[in-house]
Amino acid sequence: MKRNTVVLFVVLFLLAAFGWAGWANWESRKQAAARAAAMAAPADLVMPGSDADLPPTIAPMLDKPAPDFTLEDVRGKKVSLDAYKGKAVLINFWATWCGPCKIETPWLVDLRNQYAAKGFEILAVSEDDLDPGDKQKLKEETQQIASFAEQMHMDYPVLLGGDTVSKPYGGLDSLPTSFFVDRNGKVVAAQVGLTSKDEIEGNIRKALGGQS
Amino acid sequence: MSWLRRCAWFAGSTLLAVSLAEAQTPFPLQSDASSRLTRAASVMYLFPEQVEVTAGKQSMVPLHFRVAQGLHINSHAPKDSYLIPTVFAIPAGAVQLKSANYPAGADFTLPVDPSTKLSVYTGEFVITAQIVAERGNHLVQGTLHYQACDNNACMPPKTIPVAVDVVGK
Repeated sequence: MKRNTVVLFVVLFLLAAFGWAGWANWESRKQAAARAAAMAAPADLVMPGSDADLPPTIAPMLDKPAPDFTLEDVRGKKVSLDAYKGKAVLINFWATWCGPCKIETPWLVDLRNQYAAKGFEILAVSEDDLDPGDKQKLKEETQQIASFAEQMHMDYPVLLGGDTVSKPYGGLDSLPTSFFVDRNGKVVAAQVGLTSKDEIEGNIRKALGGQS
Repeated sequence: MSWLRRCAWFAGSTLLAVSLAEAQTPFPLQSDASSRLTRAASVMYLFPEQVEVTAGKQSMVPLHFRVAQGLHINSHAPKDSYLIPTVFAIPAGAVQLKSANYPAGADFTLPVDPSTKLSVYTGEFVITAQIVAERGNHLVQGTLHYQACDNNACMPPKTIPVAVDVVGK
């Protein structure tokens, strides 16, 4: 009888040990699978590529006049899109917290240097949150955006308060989002999400009217 | 005696079969269709809906969340000061948040920039809240503030409600 009890306890212990090991293994593999999926998954927020892949809120803007706006830059100077008529303009919606924006910014800096002489400019519209009701906080937030822009060598106008103009530009659910405006103020291309330097360059050329 | 042997033999073979089957079946990933995500669904609060704690004493409450497949959010301690950390909060009231213990983020790199390591949460994660509740029933409207991205784009920061019914006894 005593032996039976010992065997019973051993069996129960083994069952519990196997059960725990199975559960721990399942949890561990579940987490690993989720991480692997996040690493390997293609872009789900956006569908970079051709114009046909643009979100339905942005696609109708193609071949239409770019909505005008006037925003302050990080130095407090008012900048209006309308003032750039006659130039090809890339309106780049970005934010300091946006990793993919940080990746594409050096490409934009290079391309702006390459095409500025041909009449090309970039307007970088920050989507960072601002607190207009709190002067001290607003100053710090502006300074943070300015510091970021300086670190990234963004020698083009960096505008604040992008959320006030995001609605006419399709709502901007994800960043980066760029609009390419030709010399007549018409949107000739748009990109949502990180694409490639070549694709951005192709759209800049399109905005410049096929000039290279 | 013989029933005990049969029982042990049955338990052993069942466990062996289960272990083998588990080892050969990879954890199923969600389908591509389910990975089409919207802003609203990037992080979900899972459970608990209700907890019972000792009134007036500090209690641990593990809060379970899930990040949608294909997305990541910054951990509570991102590696870059410009990135927005994940933060859990409870508004002042009958239930106080004394502290929150966040899990360490997993290292993550974007395919186009393998040199930059991010500290992120993906899949399920648990934040352990240390709370002190007054006696009685309290519907706590906590919040989780986070900022989600996938490999190519980021969504604006978002705050979701974390509703827990706290019973202080």
